Amino acid sequence: MRVTKGAQIVAGTALLALAVAACGGGGESSGTGSTAGAGGAAGAVRVEIAEPQHDLIPGNTTETSGAEVLNALFVGLVDYDAEKKPYNRVAESIESPDATTWTIKLKDGYKWHNGEPVVAQNFVDSWNYTANGANAQEGNYFFGSVKGYDEMNPGEGKTPTATTLAGLKVVDDKTFTVELKNPFSGFPTMLGYTAFYGLPKAAFESEGKLKADFGGNPVGNGPFKISKPWKRGTDQTISTVRNEEFMEGKAKIEAVDFKIYTDLNTAYNDLRAGNLDIMDQLPAEQIASAKQEFGERYIEQPSSGIGYIGFPIKSGADYAKNKDIRKAVSMAIDRKTITETVFSGTRVPADDFISPVVPGYRQGACGETCNYDPAKAKELFTSAGGPSMGAIELGYNADGGHKEWIEAVANNLRTNLGVEVTPKPVEKFATILDDLGAKKWQGAFRMAWIMDYPSPENYLRPQFGTGGSSNYSGFESKEFDDLVTQGDAAKTLDEGLPFYQKADDLVLEELPYIPVYFYQTNGAYSANVKNVKIDPFERIDLFNVEKA
Amino acid sequence: MGRFVIRRLLQAIPVLLGTTFLIFAIVYALPGDPIQALAGERRVDPILAATLREQFHLNDPLIVRYGYYLRDIVSGNFGTTFRGLPVSTIFEGKFAVTLKLATTALLFEAVIGIGLGLWAALRRGRWEDKAILAFTLLLVSIPTLVSGFVLQLVLGVQLKTSLGIAFFPVAGVQDGIRSYLLPGFVLATVSIAYLTRLTRTSLMETLRADYVRTAVAKGMPRSRVLGRHALRNSLIPLVTYLGADLGALMGGAVITETIFNLPGIGQQLFTSVYLRENPVVVGIVTVLVLIYIVANLVVDLLYAVLDPRIRYE
Repeated sequence: MRVTKGAQIVAGTALLALAVAACGGGGESSGTGSTAGAGGAAGAVRVEIAEPQHDLIPGNTTETSGAEVLNALFVGLVDYDAEKKPYNRVAESIESPDATTWTIKLKDGYKWHNGEPVVAQNFVDSWNYTANGANAQEGNYFFGSVKGYDEMNPGEGKTPTATTLAGLKVVDDKTFTVELKNPFSGFPTMLGYTAFYGLPKAAFESEGKLKADFGGNPVGNGPFKISKPWKRGTDQTISTVRNEEFMEGKAKIEAVDFKIYTDLNTAYNDLRAGNLDIMDQLPAEQIASAKQEFGERYIEQPSSGIGYIGFPIKSGADYAKNKDIRKAVSMAIDRKTITETVFSGTRVPADDFISPVVPGYRQGACGETCNYDPAKAKELFTSAGGPSMGAIELGYNADGGHKEWIEAVANNLRTNLGVEVTPKPVEKFATILDDLGAKKWQGAFRMAWIMDYPSPENYLRPQFGTGGSSNYSGFESKEFDDLVTQGDAAKTLDEGLPFYQKADDLVLEELPYIPVYFYQTNGAYSANVKNVKIDPFERIDLFNVEKA
Repeated sequence: MGRFVIRRLLQAIPVLLGTTFLIFAIVYALPGDPIQALAGERRVDPILAATLREQFHLNDPLIVRYGYYLRDIVSGNFGTTFRGLPVSTIFEGKFAVTLKLATTALLFEAVIGIGLGLWAALRRGRWEDKAILAFTLLLVSIPTLVSGFVLQLVLGVQLKTSLGIAFFPVAGVQDGIRSYLLPGFVLATVSIAYLTRLTRTSLMETLRADYVRTAVAKGMPRSRVLGRHALRNSLIPLVTYLGADLGALMGGAVITETIFNLPGIGQQLFTSVYLRENPVVVGIVTVLVLIYIVANLVVDLLYAVLDPRIRYE
């Protein structure tokens, strides 16, 4: 999933990448003179966003600003509670005997903003549209696990043989079934994300073709509805009002204005002056003062991203292939100082491959490997023959604000291991990925992952599974693959956890990547509002926000 | 004079061709693939990339692509961004915002700059003169990045939180003309200093001229000597400066517009360069070049108004 928040485009799909962050560039930016005086309804709660990268279409939204707005306009089949576990929202039940064929039943009473009832066909239509490669939707890859996806997206140069997902079947108005390619007990955890929202009949011009103006004036089924069509590239505010007919009851606030900013510092000043109510990301340099100034109205919680140092363990340089060297490097990194000083507390030291935001995370799972212990690191490094293996290379993309922490890691290694370290900036992250794919990259590299859905599986298989979509280290283990598959095939997510954790242990032992830091969400809100909660996708629960 | 204007406009054509080609070549020479930039750090879908490359002629040589671009421009079409938004939609309203900002800045510049310059010239060598010179030195030495954030914090945030005076908005354009006061001033600061010094020097020089001494000697009232003879003749360098500055202000509003979240072309230029939206960058530069050309033409025509000896044939 991609994140763009306040002037930043973070990154990647199942992906790597957080990061371009902080650099600016939030899309074709903001509004115009014509919005002067049109700040939306009086008394609206004002929320900071960057400009959404696309029109407001659920399947085409994989960045956090668009997702923030859509989260107010739509509700999904499931949502996530304070423990980040999914609970049913539009869905009445999501069940499967074998974790492969899922039967989803819908609750009665949900309506689209235009009065249409929410029916099973709405989800099937929406998913088919997004999964169709010809529609070039950014959320396309979310449907890769559904049967029939490959026929719709056969790859470069081949003609698709289907325009709908064979795995989706409507049983009746309130029921549909989803057949997956492989068993996956965590499937329900995927369903709360933006790409899985349904679309009303009114969204389609004809079968499989979306109305051109839908993305500026979307019709949802959520607690708020759009009050003035939004013109991307021109309007600086996206205005919504309360949906008085919302099935779960009325939201406690009457209206929400999403205000587009290109600079986080500017938005922060507006927040302090009371011209803005909620920010779910703060400029890093203001974190310390925000804690003081906002007190109880300052929010700090883990977010789903993890930052790593990775190694090509099969095709890389000698030091990259050596497990003990990798462990020594890990022990020589002073995570605490780096997260506190270089990142001003917007990151915390990492100690597992599974993020604290999903079930299955174990504090300290990494053990002594992730503890800062220069003496032991040096000893291990020397006994593994590190000093004779030459300089360690640390690759990173120069466009993403990574220089500082990579340099800090390099200094740690120089001081603690007595080894020569060459940080190697590369223009774009994709260059490193391409070289890794072609097995040309020899040295260590920075890596990051942000979840697609809150399941431990999403932190393991894509990155470390054999043939995983983002397996850049070359890590391969039959035992690991089997454990993850067993976890997927378990009846419930909870029963699957021990398998995922055993798989996690295998990776921690082999250490193809070194976990360095977990990302954090840092937000704050004005004295105008209360009860502000942020979910693991960094979306604000606006339904429950109240005026103070 | 009509012929002069036409000749100048014709001369503008090669200038426009040259500058657009230069900027076109430069933005496409930037390292990094604009199609890859669409996907952030994720690798872009190869099918989508191939389609887009075809659609935007990215596989053709530079000169061919420039040809396509010119063809579109001539028919009044600025093209679309790689994200599928017409560039003209992005321009909509944005030039108006920047123009308002630049005009506000220009007014601050003209009123404060010329005013202080006059005062300094008339009080030459006295403490007022020295104080004004020191003040201009201060203005030149503070970068807009600093003055912008400081004024935003003090007048926008603290004035409101401590005294409850919400006259200056922190950011945005929702408060009409008030929204432009702070950013306009911030944008004008450096120019105010230059203009003050220019006015002072220019006026002092004219005041020493023979015809001014003659006017004083024949008993003309001081106000008339100053207003009609001295000031009017000192205005030529000032008008030149102001005219050229309008273009500079419009192009230089990047920092100011970002700090104050004004949705103008400066902010747009920055994000577009960052996102490798080359069609937008070239489009904005093309329009800025046009503005420069027109502003310079107007300045040239104003010379004739200020000094009757200048004639254009």
